[in-house]
Amino acid sequence: MASKMPACVIDVGTGYTKMGFAGNSEPSYIFPSAIGVKENVGRGMAQGVDDLDFYIGDEAMNTPGYATKYPVRHGIVEDWDLMEKFYEQAIFKYLRAEPEDHYFLLTEPPLNPPENREYLAEIMFESFNVPGMYIAVQAVLALAASWTSKKAERTLTGCVIDSGDGVTHVIPVAEGYVIGSCIKHIPIAGRDITYFVQQLLREREVGIPPEQSLEVAKRIKERYTYVCPDIVKEFEKYDKQPDKYFKQYTGHNRVTKKPFSVDVGYERFLGPEIFFHPEFANPDFKTSISETVDTVVQQSPIDVRRGLYKNVVLSGGSTMFKDFRRRLERDVQKRVDLRLKRSEELSGGKLKPQPIEVKVVSHAMQRYAVWFGGSMLAATPEFYKVCHTKADYEEYGPSICRHNPVFGTMS
Amino acid sequence: MSFAPAPKPKPTSTLQPYPDAVRSSLSAAMCLQNFASQVVERHNKPEVEVRGDEELLMNPVVVSRSDKESVLIEGSVNALRVSIQIKQADMIEEILCKKFMGFMMMRAENFVVLRRKPVPGYDVSFLITNFHTEQMYKHKLVDFVIQFMTDIDKEISDMKLTVNARARICAESFLSQF
Amino acid sequence: MILLEVENRILSEVLSSRASETEEIAPVDMTVADFDGTMYHVSNPEGDATKVLVSISVPFFHQLQQFDVDSFMKGIYGDMVTSPESGYDFSLLVDISKLGANPEVTISNVARLRRNCFAAVFTKFFQMQKDGKMDSIVLNYKEKETMFINAMKDRVTVIFSTLFTDKDDIVIGKVFMKAFQDVRGRNPSAPQVLFGHAKDVPRELEGTSALTGDNVGYVTFVLFPRHISDDKMDHTIDLIHTFRDYLHYHIKCSKAYLHQRMRARTSSLLKVLNRARPDAEKEKKTATGRTFVRK
Repeated sequence: MASKMPACVIDVGTGYTKMGFAGNSEPSYIFPSAIGVKENVGRGMAQGVDDLDFYIGDEAMNTPGYATKYPVRHGIVEDWDLMEKFYEQAIFKYLRAEPEDHYFLLTEPPLNPPENREYLAEIMFESFNVPGMYIAVQAVLALAASWTSKKAERTLTGCVIDSGDGVTHVIPVAEGYVIGSCIKHIPIAGRDITYFVQQLLREREVGIPPEQSLEVAKRIKERYTYVCPDIVKEFEKYDKQPDKYFKQYTGHNRVTKKPFSVDVGYERFLGPEIFFHPEFANPDFKTSISETVDTVVQQSPIDVRRGLYKNVVLSGGSTMFKDFRRRLERDVQKRVDLRLKRSEELSGGKLKPQPIEVKVVSHAMQRYAVWFGGSMLAATPEFYKVCHTKADYEEYGPSICRHNPVFGTMS
Repeated sequence: MSFAPAPKPKPTSTLQPYPDAVRSSLSAAMCLQNFASQVVERHNKPEVEVRGDEELLMNPVVVSRSDKESVLIEGSVNALRVSIQIKQADMIEEILCKKFMGFMMMRAENFVVLRRKPVPGYDVSFLITNFHTEQMYKHKLVDFVIQFMTDIDKEISDMKLTVNARARICAESFLSQF
Repeated sequence: MILLEVENRILSEVLSSRASETEEIAPVDMTVADFDGTMYHVSNPEGDATKVLVSISVPFFHQLQQFDVDSFMKGIYGDMVTSPESGYDFSLLVDISKLGANPEVTISNVARLRRNCFAAVFTKFFQMQKDGKMDSIVLNYKEKETMFINAMKDRVTVIFSTLFTDKDDIVIGKVFMKAFQDVRGRNPSAPQVLFGHAKDVPRELEGTSALTGDNVGYVTFVLFPRHISDDKMDHTIDLIHTFRDYLHYHIKCSKAYLHQRMRARTSSLLKVLNRARPDAEKEKKTATGRTFVRK
C-alpha cells in the first residue's frame, strides 16, 4: 500500500536535525536538535495545554524565557518526553504533514539499543498513527548516499567516516550491517579545527574583536582551508610566494560597525591537518585518522577487509575540506602497502600478496550524506516493502521494529 | 533515642476494605519456597504457570469490589500470580487502561515481577516467584502491588479528566478566534 | 503551538532566504507536501535562479474550475499566475528580484497558496448566500475525506466528514468533537457547532457523495452572516480550512501528553518496586565520623 505522498525523512543528530521529504536532494530544514520549554512546567503535571508551549530548533535558542534542552546525547535519545514533543512540532509546524498520510524514515546511530527503536515505534504508531516507518542506521545511509558518486559501486559494504561538529566516527559496515565491535571514535572534529584556527589567529592577528573571534575562525575555516599533501613543502611554498597563498579576510566589527581585515596564512592547511597530526591541537591524542581507518579495517572480519579498503566513504560537514579525500587515500594506501611489503619480506619472498586497493569516495552530497541517503532510499518502491506498517505493529507489537531489513542494493 | 514510627493515617475512604483484603490475601499467598521441577531434571519453573501437578497449586482466590474490579490471586508452591481487573467505566477509560497497561507491559523488563501478558479476563498480571521473594522484602512487594492498584485507578481517572479538559481548551481556543 | 499556521513554512523560507540573499542565489528544485494531500513543486524552470516557479497540486482542484478559480487567483496574485506545470494544478512564477514594494506580503501570499485554493470555494459560497442563492457542493478536499458546503437562505453550513484511521482515535475524537459542540455557549461570536458520529449522519448529507461510515465523525459549522461579512470572511476561511488538521493535531498531541504521563507514572512505580530490594550494606560510621569494618 504505497501512498501517493512522499515519505518524510527525519534525521535527528546530536547537534542538528535534518528533515524534509523523500526524493529531494536537500533537506528542507537543518536546525539545532534543541527544544525550548518553560522551566516551571513540571513533568506530566502540566495544566491544560501548557505542554504545547514550547519551541524547537532555532526558535528554541532565540526565544527568551524558555530553557533550551537537548533530547539527544551522543546520537542516542535520552529524554523521550522531549523527543515526542520535538516530533510534534517537527511534523505539524515545520513539515506540515499529516502523519497519517506519510511513511516515515527515521535514523539511529550505530549501537543504538533496540529498546529505543521500540520507544520510537511506540511514539510514531500510537501518538502519530503513521501508516508505516523504517529506522535506518545513519552509517548505512551515508554509504547509500555515496552511490551518487561516479566512482562508487552500489554496495553496502564500506567504511564510513562520519565527522560532524563534535566527534568523528569510523564505522565499518558489511553488507548493510554495522560491525559494532570495530567502531572507533576520534576526538577531533569540526569544532576542534575551529578552535585550532582561532588559536593560530589569536597568536598572530590583533584586529579581531575578541567576541567575534570564534565566528571569524569558523568563517575562515569554511572558506579558505584545504588539505595539503605535505606540510613542509607547503610551508616552503607559502614563504616563497606569500602573495599567491596568503589571503585576506574582511569582517565587520559588530559593535563599532567598522571593517577589519585578517591575513589568512598557514592556518589554511594547518587547520584540517589536525586530522592527520592530532598532536598539533591535542597533546593527549596522537593517532591520525589514517591510522584509525587502517586499524578499524584490520580489526574487522578478514573476509570484508578488502571491501572496506575499497570503499571508504566520507560523510558530514567536516569531511568537506578540499583534497581531504586524496590525502586520506594516499596515507591509508601507504600503510597498507607497507604492511604487505613487510609480510613479503618476512616470508622471505615466497609469498607474493595480491595488492590491496584503497579508495576513498567523496561526493557532492557529503554534507547531508545521511539525510540524502535516506531521501534517496525512501523514494524507491522497495522502501514501502520493507517498512513496518501500522497493521504489523498492531498485530505483533513494538518488537517488530527491532529489526529493520537492509535494502537498496538490489534495485 | 528511638521513636516509634508515627502510624500512617488511613484514608477515610469507604473503599479501603478492598485493598486491605487484597493485602492480607496476598501476604498469605507470599509463602513460597524453592521447588525444582518434578518432570524435567534441573528445571525450576513457576508451577503456577506450568500447572503440571494439581498438588502443587493452591486454590485461586478472587477479591472483588464490584463486577468490574477484582483481583485474582493464584498461588502455588514456588510462585504466585496476581491478576488485576481495573475499573473501566466508559470507552475512554477502556482505551486509557489498554494503552497504559500496554505501555507498562512493554517495559516489563524493568518491572521484574510484571507479566508481559495478562491472564485472560484481566488487564494486568504479576508473576512473583520464590526467587523474587528471596531477593526482595515480601511486605514491600505487597506494598508495591497495592500501590500499583491505587495509582493506576487514580491515574486513569486523572488522565480521563485531562483529556476532557484539553478537548475543551482546544475547542475554546479555536472557536474564540472567530 | 496551539493553532496551526496558515502559511507553508518551507515555501516562505525558500523564498525569503532567496529574497534576502546578497550574493548569488542558489538554484532550487524541491517537491514538498502540505496537509491533506497538497503537493508543491518549487523549481527554476529556465535555469534562472531568480525566477522561482511554485506549482501546487490539491486533490480538489478540478472541482474548483466551475467557480472560476482562475480569475479568483488572478485577483490575488496578478501577473505571477502562469500556465500550470504539467502534473500540477496551478503555478505561480515568482521573480525574486521583483517582489514589489512589500516583499514580505508577496512571499506570505505565495505561502498561502493552499489556503487560497480553499478560499476560492468559500468566497463563492459566501457570495451566493449574500445574493440569496442556494447551492451545495461536496468537496473531496482530501483523499477519502469530504467537506460539504451548503449555502442557505440565512446561513452557510460546512460539514466535515473526517475519517479516524485508528479505532482508539474515534473515542478520543468524540470527546474532542463533543467539546466543540459544548463550549460554543461561552463564545457567543463563534459559529454554532454540531457533531455526529458513525450512525448519526447529518440529514443534509443524505443522498450526497459525502463520506459516511462507522469510523467517521461529522462536524457541522453553521456560519451566519456575521461570520461571512466582508471584513470577517478572510479570517473565517483561515480558521475553517485548518479545522480538520487542527482536530487531528490535537488528538495526537493529547496522546503524546498521555505518553508523558505514563512515563512519569511508570518511573514512579518503578521506584516503589525498587524500594522492595534490600539496600546494599551501607558503610557504618562511628559517632566521630570514622568508618569501621566489622570483621
